[in-house]
Amino acid sequence: MDYFYSYLILAEIYVLLGLSTNLLVGVVGIFSVSQAAVFGVGAYIVSDFLLSGTLSFLPALAVAAVACIVLNVLLTLPSLRVSGDYFVVTSFGIQLLATAVFTNWTGGTGGANGLPGVPPPDLFGFPLEETRQILGFTTVAAGLGCLAFWLAMRAPYGRLLKAIREDELAVAAAGKDVLRAKVSAAALAGAFAGVAGGVYATYMSFIDPSSFDLDASVLLLTMVVVGGARTLAGSIVGPFVLLALPQLLQLVAIPTTVAASARQLLYGVLLIAFAVFRPQGLAGERL
Amino acid sequence: MSAYLEVSGVNQRFGGLQALNDCGFAIAQGGITCMVGPNGAGKTTIFNVITGFLRPDTGHVAFRGRRLDGLRPQAIVAAGIARSFQNLRLFVDLTALENVLIGLPSGFGEAPLGALFRPFHTARLDRARRAQAMERLEHVGLADRAAEKVRNLSYGEQKLLTVARLLATGAELLLLDEPASGLAAGALDQVMALLRRLQGEGKTLLVVEHNTRVVQQIADHVLFLHQGHLMAEGTPAQIIADPALAEIYFGGAL
Repeated sequence: MDYFYSYLILAEIYVLLGLSTNLLVGVVGIFSVSQAAVFGVGAYIVSDFLLSGTLSFLPALAVAAVACIVLNVLLTLPSLRVSGDYFVVTSFGIQLLATAVFTNWTGGTGGANGLPGVPPPDLFGFPLEETRQILGFTTVAAGLGCLAFWLAMRAPYGRLLKAIREDELAVAAAGKDVLRAKVSAAALAGAFAGVAGGVYATYMSFIDPSSFDLDASVLLLTMVVVGGARTLAGSIVGPFVLLALPQLLQLVAIPTTVAASARQLLYGVLLIAFAVFRPQGLAGERL
Repeated sequence: MSAYLEVSGVNQRFGGLQALNDCGFAIAQGGITCMVGPNGAGKTTIFNVITGFLRPDTGHVAFRGRRLDGLRPQAIVAAGIARSFQNLRLFVDLTALENVLIGLPSGFGEAPLGALFRPFHTARLDRARRAQAMERLEHVGLADRAAEKVRNLSYGEQKLLTVARLLATGAELLLLDEPASGLAAGALDQVMALLRRLQGEGKTLLVVEHNTRVVQQIADHVLFLHQGHLMAEGTPAQIIADPALAEIYFGGAL
């Protein structure tokens, strides 16, 4: 049962990341391949605060959210100058840079060895030590994230973001402030990713750069493509389906030495297959 | 005394091409002014300058006596000038109504904090905005297509929708880039009647148009641009009667 709970917890954390990526890539059309870097910054900030005992969980999570809002806005700024393919290259570079920092800044991140012993999350002094308690917490967090995404999408704000994805120039000609809308979307996506990072670190109790590398960013994009762009359902379905796959792979007798690469291979094949045969994903729209 | 819209001394060079060459003209309030001239005369470029999409090398634009130099497009819309595009630039994955809603002046719920923390207020105000947008659609005769995605509308309907989106901005000076091009006779008459009606409702129109029949029927005043410069202006009859202009316009093809 704990095994199933742990799948649900991870899937719910990735729902927050799926919402973040879907908002940026699916809704606004800012094709970021560095969302895992923002996720990582959130995770490291919360871990560092908890390990040093400077802040408790919720304040640390708030700091991480604010830091990731600022970071994501900064990372997205190039998209206001360079568009399309060029931004993907820029974003790719940012992801590689982040991985290099995570791996080499041993003082803050523990380097390649990672940070072990991150304390479990606590709410106002009550530590959530049992898996079921953490599941309750992640369910509430993912639920709030979904609510926020749903409210944003059905408001004039969501309509404006969708219009920006289609034709920025026409939105400006209609008298709208494109810059402000894009920056606010990046901020919202950053908050989601930062919170997801903090929750992830405290649940796993160990983090290292491999959770926040380019593979992880591509996994997030795959979740959006497989789940479906621009819809709430797509942002939920994608993480649940993709995180179930490794569990299913374990049922097949694959030697553990190749399991990780088999998983990456499967993700890659899925990404291509969906992009070609079902671009609207399982429950969404065309990216 | 100053003109309603006054463009003076505008120069714009793109590499080796002098797109606008000391371009200047004035238009009066309340009329339909047609801008004609051969391809490459600078018609769309001057639209881009007036609406803030292009900052010219030199020159000024003034609207109601107020200089617009250096303002961003959204500030120019707020000042009361809005434009349409020759290639429509509609949001084809959104519905007709949603396209018009984007054109309406910004309201509550268009920034994330309002949308997230006051959802009921947002929804209530958005219902009012939807009713307003619906009126604009009725205005151009597209009310029955409101819920249709734009990619499913005919070309003529899409052209009318660009006018509805333009009207939604509330701007009083409308710049239309070839609103009648590519339309069959029926749709053409519909668009011309609509432009006339807008004029009757107090809008001022500056229209880029190639079709001389359309120009004759709707224009109060005609500006003839050639090589980025205002070459002539006058009534439609005066412009069409001038053999030198016909020679430039039709390139001796007649």
